[in-house]
Amino acid sequence: MGRKLKKSDNEAMAEYENDIDLDNIDKKREKRKKKDEEGEEKRVILPSMIKNKEKRSVVHAKLQHMKKVEKRKKLKARDATEKRALELGEEPPLRQVPHTIENTREFDETICKPDDDELFAGNDADEFGSILRREQIPKILITTCRFNSTRGPLFISELLSVIPNATYKKRGTYNLKDIVKYASNMDFTAIIDVHTNRREPDALLVICLPCGPTAHFKLSNLVLRKDIKNHGNPTSHEPELVLTNFTTRLGHRIGRLIQSLFPQEPNFRGRRVVTFHNQRDFIFFRHHRYIFETKESKQNDSKGQKGKDAKGEKISQEKVVARLQECGPRFTLKLVSLQNGTFDTKSGEYEWVHKPEMDTSRRRFFL
Amino acid sequence: MPRTTTVECAGCPPLRALTFDTLGLIKVVESRGDRGIPQVVERWGNPDASKCVLAVSLDDSKKDPLLAVARKSGVIEVLNPLNGEIDVSISNVGDAGAQPEDDAVVGLHFLKRQRLSGSCTLLTCTTKGNASMRCIEVTGLTADNASTGASRTWKVCASGNILCSELDGNENYALFGGKAVEVNLWDLEKCSKIWTAKPPPKNSLGIFTPTWFTSATFLTNDDHRKFAAGTNSHQVRLYDTSAQRRPVISFDFREAPIKAVTADQDGHTIYIGNGSGDLAYVDIRTGKLLGCFLGKCSGSIRSIARHPELPVIGSCGLDSYLRLWDIKTRQLLSAVFLKQHLTNVVFDSNFTDREVAVEAQNASEIQNENEMGTVPAKRSKTSKEKGSKRKASKEKDGSKRLKSKEKSH
Repeated sequence: MGRKLKKSDNEAMAEYENDIDLDNIDKKREKRKKKDEEGEEKRVILPSMIKNKEKRSVVHAKLQHMKKVEKRKKLKARDATEKRALELGEEPPLRQVPHTIENTREFDETICKPDDDELFAGNDADEFGSILRREQIPKILITTCRFNSTRGPLFISELLSVIPNATYKKRGTYNLKDIVKYASNMDFTAIIDVHTNRREPDALLVICLPCGPTAHFKLSNLVLRKDIKNHGNPTSHEPELVLTNFTTRLGHRIGRLIQSLFPQEPNFRGRRVVTFHNQRDFIFFRHHRYIFETKESKQNDSKGQKGKDAKGEKISQEKVVARLQECGPRFTLKLVSLQNGTFDTKSGEYEWVHKPEMDTSRRRFFL
Repeated sequence: MPRTTTVECAGCPPLRALTFDTLGLIKVVESRGDRGIPQVVERWGNPDASKCVLAVSLDDSKKDPLLAVARKSGVIEVLNPLNGEIDVSISNVGDAGAQPEDDAVVGLHFLKRQRLSGSCTLLTCTTKGNASMRCIEVTGLTADNASTGASRTWKVCASGNILCSELDGNENYALFGGKAVEVNLWDLEKCSKIWTAKPPPKNSLGIFTPTWFTSATFLTNDDHRKFAAGTNSHQVRLYDTSAQRRPVISFDFREAPIKAVTADQDGHTIYIGNGSGDLAYVDIRTGKLLGCFLGKCSGSIRSIARHPELPVIGSCGLDSYLRLWDIKTRQLLSAVFLKQHLTNVVFDSNFTDREVAVEAQNASEIQNENEMGTVPAKRSKTSKEKGSKRKASKEKDGSKRLKSKEKSH
């Protein structure tokens, strides 16, 4: 641009100047190139420093590939050393365990230990004892908050299929305290109250009867059966129950509370599993059907030499494969409070309440 | 990387606390040394839900201390607080005729003045309002056939449930209150009611909050006229029997019901704990909140105890921790996990006296340490700063302890 303007003004002078300019520019460029080469030797150019997108993406892809190759090499080397150690009959070197938030959780003295006699004495004495000892069959009343529509009823109909021996009653305009009285007169062992907000279930209140604790959970990530791909339909058999990671005293108590909602005699013919998995204080609910299928294992075909030796065994070498099919709702619970006694917000005593001052560390968990 | 350092709890001055839980266990927590970490030293009793401890009273006299424990099964046990041996165990069922489940003991108090050698007097009160004073022969050797001496029983209330009872310092008057029972003051010698509170008037909307007292305490030992009471509707009230029948001061504390109220020795500070685990102290003369004790306490506070000499309070409740707090700094000194829902905590004030010799040794050791202080050989690099801090606080504590010793002598 500048050059053109100069040409129009005074051509002869301009050309002369241009020559000098060009020479200068060329020299500068050479210098820059040299500098860059030296720089590359000293420090690597990060892809983020390149402004041209095409070039940047090329460099980035190259880097990623390098990393991948390196990682593969590392793994191969590790496997090789392990194999060698096994062949030599030595102890293979310890594998590195990655740091996760769970395995670096803050030390908690309330974690239940198997040799704790007070824990078991407490278990015998607590409110769920009679159900878990099979002296009483759980009978659940499911109700809602006062305004209940769209996803609420759908969720409840699925809960009814998950929890055996549960009945749904319309909430009407009754107070929850009256419902508690009614239910304990009718020999219900627990009330589940599904609270909806903006037509979306957002809280679960589990009240154990007649005098048991009241747990208040936040409910999130609700996916109904209809929205799960390849979902199955559950049968009416009593489900098996899987509770994982309820380690502390509080977690143990919550685990027992959940356990007391289900009958203690699973019907294994139903092949139905209900899972409550605790991870970082979030309780994940899943409902599955499972099946054991027998498949002929492919090992014999791929390794011909061994196959010849083990011809006789070929028929018996059948793999048993477990397959899962998800059915029923999928949701996540988070404990908000655990109250001693039945539902009473005004004069109730809390065993545990979540307070914001407890959230000062990402590695502190309560369940 | 994760934060590996935990927030350190400053250790405790030497003290001894007894805690009582819902499984009927009595646990002795002791902290030895200058800034020791309190630990469970002893556990008395076997876990049994029917033996759940409801009320407790400790006679803290230097010679021959006694501990009375009322259990859910209607049995009152008198123990030796030093070794946990049961001296006497009497049943409360007989005289009332009601089932122990319906008529649980809520108040249990030793009358320290009337203690003779070999016998003691107990004031008990049940939820239905059956109060009784009984004399119990405590003969250490014949524990089995202990004979109950003279006993007097009377009805405190006709209807409602008694939830709290308190005995004043001179042991002439007792205080009762509860659900649908206004707090009332009784003269123990004449067994007559001398004063009843009047409920506060209806509010501007004409709404009357039903009476429901959950805890009460006398402000000072020698004045039976002033006492503070906590209600279920999260109110704390100060009553002065010489002034009026309505509360002198009444103020709200947070949203959950007040579950424990304990007075300080200075006569105007009270400690209040509520159903969602908030603990605070208040100047009752003005009703001003002086400060809260914060420390991730998440369960209802059932009992607060003030140490008679050291500036320490202990709180316990449904989160099954015994927490020890410094009054002046409001810091959590220590938290001991005791596995069960706790119902009561008491401090044994004689513990320091017994350990004086050990303490003196410790003190000299600490002094030596301070003199040696600059030698860094034992400490690693990271702990240097902490170490120096600790030392500073140690010195502070030492001076405190000296003061308390002077008081006690």
